[in-house]
Amino acid sequence: MARLLDVQNLKTRFFTQNGVVHAVNDVSFHVNAQETVGIVGESGSGKSITMLSAMRLIPSPPGKIVGGEVMFQGRDLLKLSVREMRSLRGNRLSMIFQDPMTSLNPVLRVEKQMTEAIQLHLGMARSEAKARAVELLEQVGIPGARDRIRNYPHQFSGGMRQRVMIAMGLACNPDLLIADEPTTALDVTIHAQIVEIVKQLKEERGMAVIWITHDLSLLAGLADRILVMYAGQIVEQAPLHALYHHPRHPYTIGLLQSILRLDEQRQEHLKSIDGLPPSLVNYPQGCPFAPRCEFAIAKCHSEDPPLEPVGVNHQVACWVKPEGADILQASQSATA
Amino acid sequence: MTRYFIKRLLGGLFTIWITTIAVTLLIHLVPGDPVQIMYAQSQSTTPEQIEQIRRNLGLDRPIYEQYIMYMGRVLQGDFGTTIRGNQPVLDLLLVRLPNTLLLAVTSLIITMVVGVTAGFFAAYKRGTWIDTTLMTGAIVGISVPSFWLGLMLISIFSVRLGWFPVSGTNLNNLVLPALTLGLANAASVSRLTRSSMLDVLSQDYMRTARAKGLAETLVLSRHAFRNGMINVVNMLGLQFTYMMGGAIVVENVFAWNGIGRLAIQSIFQRDYPTIQGFILIFATVVVIVSIVLDLLYAWIDPRITYN
Amino acid sequence: MTQQITTPTPPVAPLPSKNREFRRFLQVLFRSPGAKIGGVILLVTTIVAIFAPAIAPFDPLEMGVGSTLQPPSAEHWFGTDDFGRDLFSRIVYGSRLTLRIGLVAVFISMTAGVLLGMVAGYAGGWVEAVLMRGVDVLFSFTETLIALAAVAVLGPSLTNATIAVGISSIPFYARVTYGAVLVEKNKEYFKAAQAVGAKHFRLIFRHILPNILSPIIVVATVGVSVAVLSASALSFLGLGAQPPSPEWGAILAAGRDYFRRAPWVTTFPGLAIAITVLGFNLLGDGLREALDPQQRRS
Repeated sequence: MARLLDVQNLKTRFFTQNGVVHAVNDVSFHVNAQETVGIVGESGSGKSITMLSAMRLIPSPPGKIVGGEVMFQGRDLLKLSVREMRSLRGNRLSMIFQDPMTSLNPVLRVEKQMTEAIQLHLGMARSEAKARAVELLEQVGIPGARDRIRNYPHQFSGGMRQRVMIAMGLACNPDLLIADEPTTALDVTIHAQIVEIVKQLKEERGMAVIWITHDLSLLAGLADRILVMYAGQIVEQAPLHALYHHPRHPYTIGLLQSILRLDEQRQEHLKSIDGLPPSLVNYPQGCPFAPRCEFAIAKCHSEDPPLEPVGVNHQVACWVKPEGADILQASQSATA
Repeated sequence: MTRYFIKRLLGGLFTIWITTIAVTLLIHLVPGDPVQIMYAQSQSTTPEQIEQIRRNLGLDRPIYEQYIMYMGRVLQGDFGTTIRGNQPVLDLLLVRLPNTLLLAVTSLIITMVVGVTAGFFAAYKRGTWIDTTLMTGAIVGISVPSFWLGLMLISIFSVRLGWFPVSGTNLNNLVLPALTLGLANAASVSRLTRSSMLDVLSQDYMRTARAKGLAETLVLSRHAFRNGMINVVNMLGLQFTYMMGGAIVVENVFAWNGIGRLAIQSIFQRDYPTIQGFILIFATVVVIVSIVLDLLYAWIDPRITYN
Repeated sequence: MTQQITTPTPPVAPLPSKNREFRRFLQVLFRSPGAKIGGVILLVTTIVAIFAPAIAPFDPLEMGVGSTLQPPSAEHWFGTDDFGRDLFSRIVYGSRLTLRIGLVAVFISMTAGVLLGMVAGYAGGWVEAVLMRGVDVLFSFTETLIALAAVAVLGPSLTNATIAVGISSIPFYARVTYGAVLVEKNKEYFKAAQAVGAKHFRLIFRHILPNILSPIIVVATVGVSVAVLSASALSFLGLGAQPPSPEWGAILAAGRDYFRRAPWVTTFPGLAIAITVLGFNLLGDGLREALDPQQRRS
């Protein structure tokens, strides 16, 4: 299958008063055309910064991409001129953000915010662009789109605003849609709706989707492949089924265990992963997860493990590589 | 909108009403006998005359009666007469008011143009030498007394270069006082603008705009500037009030014949009817202008709903 | 005359209480070059004010120590005025007046304003409505007008001008305090203290006051600069310090009459005011930044 996006050794740093933040550390992954890839990690794991770096949208200063390449449709995005990059953004690859309350401009009508990209990239006249925008709003399920398009963002509910964001992201039929935690700021009851809309539109249009989330369970019916990020690194990547049933990284196993426990609704067993992610300013030696890892051996504290293949399309960065299937089985029977 | 307008109007009327009470009380707060003080500086006045004046001013009656009397007269447009010269106070004030308004509005324009531009650039070039230079200028600017700035401008532009007359009240003379008042306030406006623009520039919707592939100029002019302008309009009302207050001092530096100059003269002369009239007029102007500017603000910010 | 303060309610963290924390706070504060310069300016001004008799070469009020309206020279650094008084000595002594005016005026406005704001914020109900509505009305008059009205009532003099300037800023401090109290009132610790039945007086002074102190200190530091500017403006207008007082605004006012012939008589006191005010502004900015929780985090 053709690789739509191929990220190699991406490194992003933030140069702050308190030191250099190692936000993205040697991240490599790819996304095939029409594929849905989930990126999972805690906040601060670098998942959003990775994608913002690929879009060249990190605030600079203080942020800076210090190495790597981001091949998109055969071109390295990091080497494009500002103008060339702009012609791709919102056009061939687009991004929707976490908080639809703050991500939409409060003083511009939805119409303006939607048509500006359509006019820019598709060269449509205003009336044409407006007709397209109405159509898009209808596709994401906004009732009365023809009238609602004249409204301001604050006149929509949170869920509706995120639909507007999605419509905006799809305005120019992108080949890749990056969804940066699009449900996090919304009420739980709306999560499924948003997921469903994106899934359906993806099927219709045949675009690829990168879905960033901290909620592994959200990706169950959505992603083809999942990347797990920790401390600015990819620690495991695998197809959905393999990751859910045969995780090999202790961090992934921990994440899955916490989901299982929630499923069981057994409060007494609810044990999240102890400790906090490392400070990305004083980047630790060895495996960044080692301080929190119950499987850690001496080597983990001195040497950072590389990503190694453990199955078909399945890679893990761990010296121990415990068999997640057994551990999950054990904890499941313990709760049962 | 109508309801909001009415609410603002009632609030404004309330402020003016409180002012009328305050100016009536003002004269009674004066330590000692106000009538004695008022006439102390003028030609010898006999005790009989003092009593006569006291009666004329109504100062021999209970205070609530004085207030009703005063209000009755004010509502008919009678603000009393000056202590010396017996001129109608309202006429004196209304003749000078346009001069003060002209000065205040011109200065406000200078303040906003200079201050907003400087603040905008400082925010956009945050952390660069442009930012540092502008903000150093701003903090020095807010530290310089306006009357001194005025004198320095006179000594440069009038005395040295001979470009403008030293003082007086016509359009040719407007430049230096307006510049003085305008620049003195531009410093603080640039600081306010900078912080509000920094806030706008860091908002998520700016990232959204860039993610759409918009050119940087469009991102700034359409997405940042409009939001920034809302904050700017929001401070217009307060800035106008500062201009009116600042005008009192600057008018005296440049002998600009506005109500501020009249006010200082009447304080020297202990001319209480004029002082009272001045305070009332000042408050009324400030209230009216801020209502108008509030409506403007409500009109340009779509988020404000009126209920 | 009045100068607006840029941020009405600065978002600042509670004042650091412990000794070590305080030292760390000072480190953060004086890391900024602005605060350093401001601190030095104020230190110098204070030293000049305290040791004025030792620093000033002449009596500030004595006439004819030099010939009249002499330009700056080795003997008279800042020149002399129309009475042949030494301008440098007058400005040195003037620093005493300026600091006193600034501090006393801020003390008046802060005490009254904080009290008003706390009572209004704590009491709620009609007390709050009446007080804050009154404060709003006063606020819309501008400090200039309030100060003028106060001088009109009290009569022109340095003391009265100081009081007038103090009164004029009361609404401002009341607002800042009121805003801060409202924030504190909704915090857990306050609700807890209320729940265990703490008395009103105790609640206000033991619980609220310490927590709203830091925004007020920031405002008060900048407030001194506002007060100095306002008071010198009143003196300049002839409504404050009266001749032969070496108050800076008053020196400037006197120098106006002959400022073409002797520009130094107006230049130096103006510079003195600007530099002192700059000191308070710089320190105030530094304090705000050092106490701003957002700044600290990044």
